[in-house]
Amino acid sequence: MYIDREEVLRYMGYRGQNIDHTTEKLLNDCIDEVARVSKESFLYEIFDIERAAEGLCLKGTTLTLAGEDIGRHLAGSEKCALMAVTLGLEVDKRINFYSKTDIAKALVFDACATAAAESICDTVQEKIETVAKSMGFETTTRFSPGYGDFPIGIQKELAKVLKTYEGIGLSVNESSIMIPRKSVTAFIGLRREKSDESGNSCESCGRRNCSFRKGVE
Amino acid sequence: MGNIFESKEFLIFDGGMGTMLQAYGLKAGELPESWNISNPGKILEIHKAYIAAGADVITTNTFGANRYKLKGSGYSCGEIIESAVKIAKEATGSKLTAHDIGPIGQLMEPYGTLSFRDAYDAFKEQVIAGTAAGADMILIETMSDIYEARAAILAAKENSHLPVLCTMTFQPDGRTLTGTDPLTMVNIISHLGVDALGINCSLGPKDIIPLLAQVLKYSSVPVIVQPNAGLPVVLDGKTFYDISPEQFGQYMAETAKMGAAILGGCCGTTPEHIRELKKAVSGLKPVRPEAVKLTAASSATATVILGEEAKIIGERINPTGKKRLKEALRNGDMDYLLREAVAQRDAGAHILDVNVGLPEIDEKAMMVRAVSELQGIVNLPLQIDSVSPDVIEAAVRICSGRPIINSVNGEKKTMDTIFPIAKKYGCLVVALTLDENGIPEKAEDRLKIAEKIVNRAGEFGIDREDIIVDCLVLTASAQQKEARETIKAVALVKEKLGIKTTLGVSNVSFGLPDRELLNRTFLAMALTAGLDAPILNPMAEAMTDTIKAYNVLWNIDKEAAEYISSRSAVNEQPVFKEKEENQSLKKLIIDGMKEEAVLTVKKLLREINGLEIVDTFLIPALDVVGQKYESGEIFLPQLIQSAETVKRAFEVIKDNMLKNAGEVTGVSRGKIVIATVKGDIHDIGKNIVKILLENYGFEVYDLGKDVPAESIVKKVQEENALMVGLSALMTTTVKSMEDTVKALRLYCPDTRVMVGGAVLNEDYAKMIGADFYGKDAREAVKIARTFYGCE
Repeated sequence: MYIDREEVLRYMGYRGQNIDHTTEKLLNDCIDEVARVSKESFLYEIFDIERAAEGLCLKGTTLTLAGEDIGRHLAGSEKCALMAVTLGLEVDKRINFYSKTDIAKALVFDACATAAAESICDTVQEKIETVAKSMGFETTTRFSPGYGDFPIGIQKELAKVLKTYEGIGLSVNESSIMIPRKSVTAFIGLRREKSDESGNSCESCGRRNCSFRKGVE
Repeated sequence: MGNIFESKEFLIFDGGMGTMLQAYGLKAGELPESWNISNPGKILEIHKAYIAAGADVITTNTFGANRYKLKGSGYSCGEIIESAVKIAKEATGSKLTAHDIGPIGQLMEPYGTLSFRDAYDAFKEQVIAGTAAGADMILIETMSDIYEARAAILAAKENSHLPVLCTMTFQPDGRTLTGTDPLTMVNIISHLGVDALGINCSLGPKDIIPLLAQVLKYSSVPVIVQPNAGLPVVLDGKTFYDISPEQFGQYMAETAKMGAAILGGCCGTTPEHIRELKKAVSGLKPVRPEAVKLTAASSATATVILGEEAKIIGERINPTGKKRLKEALRNGDMDYLLREAVAQRDAGAHILDVNVGLPEIDEKAMMVRAVSELQGIVNLPLQIDSVSPDVIEAAVRICSGRPIINSVNGEKKTMDTIFPIAKKYGCLVVALTLDENGIPEKAEDRLKIAEKIVNRAGEFGIDREDIIVDCLVLTASAQQKEARETIKAVALVKEKLGIKTTLGVSNVSFGLPDRELLNRTFLAMALTAGLDAPILNPMAEAMTDTIKAYNVLWNIDKEAAEYISSRSAVNEQPVFKEKEENQSLKKLIIDGMKEEAVLTVKKLLREINGLEIVDTFLIPALDVVGQKYESGEIFLPQLIQSAETVKRAFEVIKDNMLKNAGEVTGVSRGKIVIATVKGDIHDIGKNIVKILLENYGFEVYDLGKDVPAESIVKKVQEENALMVGLSALMTTTVKSMEDTVKALRLYCPDTRVMVGGAVLNEDYAKMIGADFYGKDAREAVKIARTFYGCE
């Protein structure tokens, strides 16, 4: 599994400080350990998009996608891939454990796990791109609940549609939080023509002063 | 009815429902159970097809009929289950109906937010409805989490007279999604009074075979197998399974020959699969392999078997004679308890004894809390140690594994109170060889009591394998001749009863000098006599080393491999260079050198008092680190490593104060209650705030994550805390933060509220009525210091 060190540092608010020996070792240990204990798994399915008065619908499912931002993201797409990724419960268990025994390690471990989940997402996205190409489609970037005005309240319905609990053990609690926590769901549009997005998912987001915002300062 | 599972014929269950419904047009995301009401004809058709294929038992279409999955569907649990059982019974006629109960679909605490109590209540509602509707048995199936399975089984046993079957689903690594292996599953579930247990779903039948072998080896109840029709393959947007009905039948005949008695299918199986299965086993008869009986305790993910090499039961979570633990229990400081647990595990403990009895605290509430927290952090089985049956029952009820009860003795009254609890929750029991007449002097008389206890246990349906005898250690200083009687009694119990033994070894040396020497000698003697599970302090190396040496001399540690590797580890232990140890404490903190800082503080304490160390070294160092952080010279992990270092230093100082003055004084700058609000489970941010506040001398009461407003209000009132810190990370949980602020305003008007978390900002914080917004942990410290007038 690939874990991008630069991303890990970004999640921890790194701004080019000198990384001392202890921190360096902690970082390397955590990257190794996350890679070792992750039980990454994923699910995806491709659906036809139906445009109805109440919003975008995915054919053969109960999902209706409300909100302007997701509408914009999927404008021009005929189909939509729905994906779910998780690192599994062992990562949560370790984060819990380190939170009680060594908070510095918990923080670094958590950041490494976030980077790992992103990296699995990239892999799944590539798989979807390949399938899409074989069907004659180009793909958009990933769009997840919580981006822009797309409510995270949709996580529950999404989990039902993909049967994420049965398939990969991914559940959604009453507050729409995914458990295991290092999990991601996303929508990818399939369209006949290449989209002109930059590939930087932060650019389309409205949260201008978010401390994790990439490359738009 | 129960004996249908022990019948001379195989009992054939039906196959998949979901896959069939999809073929009939069930949408992805649609509730399959809603068809019991909106489309009952189709459900009946599927049931009938399975009957025609030869199934003896039809499973109701109620897999997800729990209150959580039904929320927002417009249907109640009762009406869905009632209609489902009705349809099934219409199809079955003289055949049987199994009320199907699947997982709730949410993860349980501590990883998720579903409590044991809430899971139990949801299952109870289902069980009552299914039983009232006339089902013949309860099938709890496709469980991934043993804790949830345990809640479901208890709900079934306590609210219905029907037979109960329970199956779990396994991953390619041979464990369930939450980490339970087959042996652990059997060790926990088979003792809960189920009529059959087994494996379903998982992978295909072929991959189930090695797991099934484990289950059959240990299960004392009939075994059920319901595999998927292989793995799902998606072709042109449609899902297929890669095992044909014929292949399925052949594999199932294989499982039948191994010893499975109850057979059926799961995802992807159709009436055709069941027809082939029936055909394939038609010439066979069920065989029941003799189960291997173990004396074994389990956590949710690991099993410790007694009777192999000596297994250490860690004794340190017991307040007797431990000032620091007493203080932690009084303050509800769970982190201290957890650190003790982790330290014991790291030092080689296999099982942890948990005793939290203190006259001034609510032992039951504390025990329940301790058990929940411990089992979330360490994967060692627990030994529940209390004199109160109430406390014991409350604790073993919420245990996720198979615990040991410590203890019962030869008094009739005690046995008659404790054995029913042990039986119901499937626990092991420590049996003390004493009774109404006290502890007998002679080994032979202690054996007699052990025998009496084993016999009485048998009358309650508890096997001798589930008893661990403690022949009792007396102090050699007071009763010298009885030390030998204890050793003799251990040998007698092993020889005459063949039962596993435990001993609280270190009692022997009370009142004598150089206790360790006596302890380790006595331990070696007891091990030779047949002691299986010494209760001792695993941090005492003399003791663990004695076991290692014994394992060599008793030919357990083959070729002394473990012994040799443990010896080389001793030689490699880090030796701190004089230079580092002598560095100023301030620099050690700034550099985050934890171990070195601890050593330096210990040294300093010989010369100056703790408070002086705090003021001269700790706080100034923290200020430097804080400035470096704010100026961007260091970043967050570095700040926290320094904070951890200060925390360790504080611990040393506190211990020292307790030892010298009997209490910790002069440190507290004020009380702050902190929590991550209800529904939210993110707590790294909150924990960072906590450690920094503690570093600066605040008394922090950390209520954890997913904390309801009522609990926060209660704690604030109890402690008279003037400040509360709340954390929420999601837009969805800011609402419960707002509710918490409102509750605090109402019930604790003098308390100020500080909030923080990724989705908040100054305006948002004002909007929900908070007094302060802390954008990060440093800011939180500044707010607290200003509020409590420290600056």
